[in-house]
Amino acid sequence: MSTKTHSSDVERSIVDRIRASPFLTELLSNRIAVAGLSLIIGLFAVAIYARLVYDLDAIIATSFGSNPTEAAPSAQFWFGTDGQARDIFPRVLYGAWYALKFGTATVLASTALGITAGIVAAYYGDLTDNVIMRTMDVLLSFPSLLLALALVTIFPESLGLWRAVAALTLVYTPRFARVVRGAALKVLEDEYIEATRALGATDPRLLIRHVLPNCLAPITVQSTLNYGLAIIDIAALSFLGFGANPGDPSWGMMLANGVEKGLFSGAWWWSFFPGLFLALTVLGFNLLGDGMRDALDPRMRDAVD
Amino acid sequence: MVSKRFIAKRLLLLGPVLFGVATVVFAILHLSPGDPAIAIAGERASQEFVEQVRSDLGLTDPLWEQYVRFIRDTATLDFGESYQVRRGTAVGDILADRLPITIELAVLGQIAGLLFGLPLGILSAVKKDTLTDHFSRVGALTGISVPIYWSGPLLILLFAQVLGILPTSGRIGSTYFIDSKTGFILIDTLLAGNLAAFQSAALHLVMPVIVLGVYSMAFISRMMRSSMLEVIRQDYMRTARAKGQGAKTTVMKHGLRNAFIPVITIIGIQFGSMLGGSVLTETVFEINGIGTLLVSAINKSDYPVVQATVLVFAFMYTIVNLLVDITYSVLDPRIDQ
Amino acid sequence: MPGDNNQVSRRRFMKSAGSATVVATAASSVSGCLGGNGSGGGTLRYGRSAHSKTLDPQDTTSGEVSKVTNQIYDGLIDFQPGEAAITESLAVDWSMEGTDVTLELREDAQFDDGTDFTADDFIATYRRFVDEEYEYHVGDLSSYGPFTLGNWIDSVEADGDYMLNITLTDPYAPFLRNLAMFAAVVLPQDAIEGDFDFATNANGTGPFQLDKLDNSNGKIKLTPNDNYWGDGPNVDQLLFLERGQNSTRTQALIEGELEIIDNLGPNNIGQVEDSDAAEVQSGEGINIGYMSFNQSRVEAFRDSRVRRAISYAIDTESIVSEVYSGIAKQADQPCPPALFGHNDDLSPYPHDTEKAQSLLEDAGYGDGFSFDLTTFQNARGYNPAPMSTAESIRTNLREIGIEVEIDDRQFSDYLTYTSEGKHDASLAGWYTDNADPDNFYYVLLHPQVESPEGQDWVDWDTEGYNTSNRTAWANQEFMDLIEDAQQASDKDKRAELYHEAAQLAYDEAPWVYIDYADEIRGVRNTVNNYEVSAIGGPHLHLVDVE
Repeated sequence: MSTKTHSSDVERSIVDRIRASPFLTELLSNRIAVAGLSLIIGLFAVAIYARLVYDLDAIIATSFGSNPTEAAPSAQFWFGTDGQARDIFPRVLYGAWYALKFGTATVLASTALGITAGIVAAYYGDLTDNVIMRTMDVLLSFPSLLLALALVTIFPESLGLWRAVAALTLVYTPRFARVVRGAALKVLEDEYIEATRALGATDPRLLIRHVLPNCLAPITVQSTLNYGLAIIDIAALSFLGFGANPGDPSWGMMLANGVEKGLFSGAWWWSFFPGLFLALTVLGFNLLGDGMRDALDPRMRDAVD
Repeated sequence: MVSKRFIAKRLLLLGPVLFGVATVVFAILHLSPGDPAIAIAGERASQEFVEQVRSDLGLTDPLWEQYVRFIRDTATLDFGESYQVRRGTAVGDILADRLPITIELAVLGQIAGLLFGLPLGILSAVKKDTLTDHFSRVGALTGISVPIYWSGPLLILLFAQVLGILPTSGRIGSTYFIDSKTGFILIDTLLAGNLAAFQSAALHLVMPVIVLGVYSMAFISRMMRSSMLEVIRQDYMRTARAKGQGAKTTVMKHGLRNAFIPVITIIGIQFGSMLGGSVLTETVFEINGIGTLLVSAINKSDYPVVQATVLVFAFMYTIVNLLVDITYSVLDPRIDQ
Repeated sequence: MPGDNNQVSRRRFMKSAGSATVVATAASSVSGCLGGNGSGGGTLRYGRSAHSKTLDPQDTTSGEVSKVTNQIYDGLIDFQPGEAAITESLAVDWSMEGTDVTLELREDAQFDDGTDFTADDFIATYRRFVDEEYEYHVGDLSSYGPFTLGNWIDSVEADGDYMLNITLTDPYAPFLRNLAMFAAVVLPQDAIEGDFDFATNANGTGPFQLDKLDNSNGKIKLTPNDNYWGDGPNVDQLLFLERGQNSTRTQALIEGELEIIDNLGPNNIGQVEDSDAAEVQSGEGINIGYMSFNQSRVEAFRDSRVRRAISYAIDTESIVSEVYSGIAKQADQPCPPALFGHNDDLSPYPHDTEKAQSLLEDAGYGDGFSFDLTTFQNARGYNPAPMSTAESIRTNLREIGIEVEIDDRQFSDYLTYTSEGKHDASLAGWYTDNADPDNFYYVLLHPQVESPEGQDWVDWDTEGYNTSNRTAWANQEFMDLIEDAQQASDKDKRAELYHEAAQLAYDEAPWVYIDYADEIRGVRNTVNNYEVSAIGGPHLHLVDVE
């Protein structure tokens, strides 16, 4: 363990550590992870394509008169049309953009909140630690979807899917907080931190420079697994009626409508394609996350759900 | 052995946690825009009538008074009366009706998950990096990637509509009226000595249990695999193999027992998502457990029911985790609590 | 079996829009002729979207509760199966002069526990419902207490066992219809004043009695009431079964797990039609679905040209034919065609974007504006697909430069929000309580406060404002017509006043009239003598199952 105190040396040592980590090399040799990664890259491509090519207003608008209602897949409508006579194909592609946008927001927000809470708890210890971690315990003692279901109602309806993002952020935060706090405690015990502190480094610098890189790996794995979970949970909230605005090309909403109105009366395509894309996306993140767990140092692995 | 102090400490912690849970639920409900008074009074009600109902429910009292009352009542296990589900019925009675339904489903789902997940995980570990391994891992991951609210309806479409071999939804055929003694329908039908009813109940459970089981199977097999691999890497396994025992017996004798330990943890964690999953499964298959109870209570702003249901969920979840920790320390004495 | 297609017994009709009440053709058998308790046997399973929360008709505003209580209890007056007309029930004759109502009661009715029905039972029922002085007053449980009886009745007296004299506070033409509402059914005095739990037990004079109540599985079992005074019932047991989702309920009907289902969504109709085992049966509904303009909040809506422009712009024809799959008729006025208050000379606003655009320009809104459209999320009787309706409206209005933001809410939240007048515009609707035009015109469009001088809208916060009027519209001419019609006793005179009011409401367009939804049921071919009722039903006592 380095005991050098000059700050640029500390920085260098962090970079070295990341580079030297067998994590990435091992990850790329893991077939499952690579399969997941390919699915996710494909998804990003679809999302960006849809975002650039399609006009959101146009694919939300009902199209009675110009398109047939509930038409089966054909050369003209690859994925068929829905009950509002809308072409399902561009909507499903655009759904990838929605899934990534709201999934990313959820994961970033909960990771950031969790890191902050975990580091603050570990660094200040005592009462601060207790207050923060007991709050996390309370949040963790709810089954996650149920807590999200209750939380989502307190945000204004007009926020649409951002309501689900807000609720799920609060639900996922404790998981990150726990991982980060554990890792942070280990780092803080190390001598070199003591030494740095003695030389008058400020709190934020200490926390960010030293603690964060050390728990980067478990956080990344947790984030990846949560990515899939976030996408599936956002869709689940939409399915239960708490989420997307009517007409939005979100997979959860399309799935809910398609199942309720089309699946049993023959219009299987209405829910099938959104469902397929949703499942493939979540599978992508789960494959990658699982591969990452394998690549992870076994000591760290325990820290991840 | 588990120290009594450990258990006592955990049980003591349960109080503050549930208190916190109760506070969170109270806060959430009073922040959300639903209005229980108008949900009761209905769209025909005049403004004065709605006000009357609101004050009858005690909702016009200052918030802190409502909070103190709620915490005091909850502490004495008085959950109040429902605003909506059979108005005026004690929430405790409603939960007593609904809870066994969800538990039955979750337990059966968990059993199915174990039954398929454990062998799959072991197989995957023993055949690490072969096609079998990849296949079973991807299969398991696919299981948790397909949302219940899609796989459920697809199963209904296949088994009920196309093949016509399983009933669509509900818990039992419409013509059976079975006295609820335990609340578990499989047991109640047997107690009533009605085999036809038992069969009907069992058939109704097939699809929900498959859906939940696949979900839990994926987690269990994944945990079983990695824990099995860990064990295989241990020295004593190598020693055992070096002594000339066949790979198969080695796995069976030494590996399994040790590999099970972390799996028990995952069962605890799993139980939480099982309860969450039961909300969706119950919705899809129209089973009147506490999952559907909660969703409809949230929709109708039935505060007492939402409060009690969420507390019960949290209580079950916490207790199961405690049990897991205790089992864990019994199985693995190395862990010093 | 495909061969069934050719059998004569297969009644298959889906009434097209515009037709009147469907009469169940007796394609089957003599079991249609009934008498006494000639039970034809069999089980009738009625599938619906929600279980009864209670069996107490005075503790609910829920239509699901009344479906069951209507089988067990009788009112003094009843609605005729499949019609808006009233008919005798526990009262065999009546008269109404000004504020005096006299009813002659049936002498051969008994509750299912064997006690005789008398005038005192009705008095106890009335007092339990609305009299706070009464020891057994039910409490403020249901707004139907004041709504059906309390607001109109001054006193009720018995004249012997079988004569009732009711005095009203004011002349009120629809009163007799209120007596036919489900909430006004007669409960036994002994039970009211005894230790009887009406929420979980039942004791009525109706055709069925409660056998089993299974709340954990959403099931209720009724058996024939041996003491019933009328014809029927013709089945051995009647089950009410909860199947929450339209798709699974429909599936259960087709597979023979249910005989009758209600609340079919537009998407389930084809499924039933395609089945050889069941058919779609429809009746004319007594309801309206509309969009209300909140004139108290949005200045643009105070100009009738803007309201008319939007009425022209919204393609209600497509909404009804595509979104609702034709299970509704296009609306053109507040009162549905089943009632005498409907003016047949009116016809729906055509979809005319150009006309809409020019009206907007006249009103000075040529560049458009924007508003929030508040809606409930789940289907209601008068609006089978609220979210899709809102989406269609958004698309239509964008064509004339109006931006609509959809604000969808859970029903109770929606009710609070719109009753407090926070909406710019809202999707709304009404199904009738008593099948009187007053129940539409007065309840939904009369402000019940003074109209301010020189304007035809009121501020929402005016003391005493009728918040069921979600438009803040207060047109003096309209108000006078409705008040006159409420007090007039001659039906023709009332009709004339209402027709005039309908014309006014059409021209002024305080609502966008969207639809009158049909009453749709899925019925298995084994069911005979079932008739769809928009009010007072389901009428199941004459139904038999092959």
